[in-house]
Amino acid sequence: MDVAISTLLSPIILFFALGMAAALLRSQMSVPEAVAKGMAIYLMMAIGLKGGVEMSKNPLTTEVILVLVAGIVLSFLIPAIAFMLLRLTTRLNRIDAAATAAHYGSISIVTFVAATEAVRLSGLDSGGHLVAVAALMETPAIITALVLAARGQARRETPIAGSEQGELVREVFLNASIVVLVGALIIGWVAGEEGTATVEPFFVDLFQGVLCLFLLDMGLSAGRGLRQGWRQLSVMTVGFGLYMPLISAAIAAAIAALIGMPAGDAALLITLTASASYIAVPAAMRLALPEAKPSIYLTLSLGVTFPFNVTIGIPIYIYLALLITGQA
Amino acid sequence: MTKHLRIELIIERMAHKRACRVLEAAGMTGYTVLPAMAGYGNSKRWSRDTDLSASGDMVVIISVGDEEKVRATMTEISNLLGAHIGIVTVTEVEVLRPGRF
Repeated sequence: MDVAISTLLSPIILFFALGMAAALLRSQMSVPEAVAKGMAIYLMMAIGLKGGVEMSKNPLTTEVILVLVAGIVLSFLIPAIAFMLLRLTTRLNRIDAAATAAHYGSISIVTFVAATEAVRLSGLDSGGHLVAVAALMETPAIITALVLAARGQARRETPIAGSEQGELVREVFLNASIVVLVGALIIGWVAGEEGTATVEPFFVDLFQGVLCLFLLDMGLSAGRGLRQGWRQLSVMTVGFGLYMPLISAAIAAAIAALIGMPAGDAALLITLTASASYIAVPAAMRLALPEAKPSIYLTLSLGVTFPFNVTIGIPIYIYLALLITGQA
Repeated sequence: MTKHLRIELIIERMAHKRACRVLEAAGMTGYTVLPAMAGYGNSKRWSRDTDLSASGDMVVIISVGDEEKVRATMTEISNLLGAHIGIVTVTEVEVLRPGRF
């Protein structure tokens, strides 16, 4: 309960709520687009560097490797479950269901950052390798979704005009999040604590303030997305956006218990699995499955699941982690 | 002044490189890509500030060419718009230096 209250009353979440309320009330407030993109890169660099430095302090153990593998397996598996549930409970067609499922198998780095702060506030420790897990979980879901979309569908007779070989691979494996996150992780790993000490004032001391500003913008985005796209969502689809993170969290918790992960790490793996992408996957889906409706998958992941996760979800995931480690 | 055709293609940002390749393959000598701020279509409002992925952003591509080249792009652009969100219009324009197109 204390975890839930401290998370909900943290400035990060309160700024998110402010942004969302402002957007829903049709306020004209906005964060300049370039500033928002710059902040996203800053946050990914900061979290990547921090993870890399943490990894440089500890050797690569079997447990770390198991967690990395678990992340990949979860990212491949969750879209299949999400797809099945969407097809059973909603009227989404195969393409829309597959595109939506991809978002739920991939991750939200902002949810991860918010969870990292919540875990820290709860007095739990987490390993830097979870940042690597986050990067690894970005793309397998896209592959599962493409396979699900292709099954039972006639192959496109002619390729889309102007499409080029390798463009999807570039988008999926070399998108900004992966390049910055993995790049910063490697830099942090190579440079270590001593090497990154000079950039610490920028990446550590300013982190909380930038995160507040970024969450304010995310609140605005989520609110506007919801306001503009809610008509496209049925009650069952909105329901999916709320229960799917909990199903994913339960599966991740079982795997975390199986591996024997410490509570802080488990909370982050559960959060990653429960989060839904709204940066990398939507862009990949516009290239790979352009027939899928972005008003469904983007509104659902950004307007429904993201607010749910950062407000109610994260305290539940931390509690789940404490429960499986016998600390609840 | 010589008469030419002007293509104005409003298309989702993620597909704009595909559209540009179509124009280049058809031998169009130039085009300009402009960002679109906001709009309304398919019963839905959209705006640039809705999502961080910018996957929902739209761009406007303007290109001018002689009739033969512009007509040559239409089949491919029609194929492109069969998959991606967008519209295309072609209008007659007068150009000062026809040798540039």
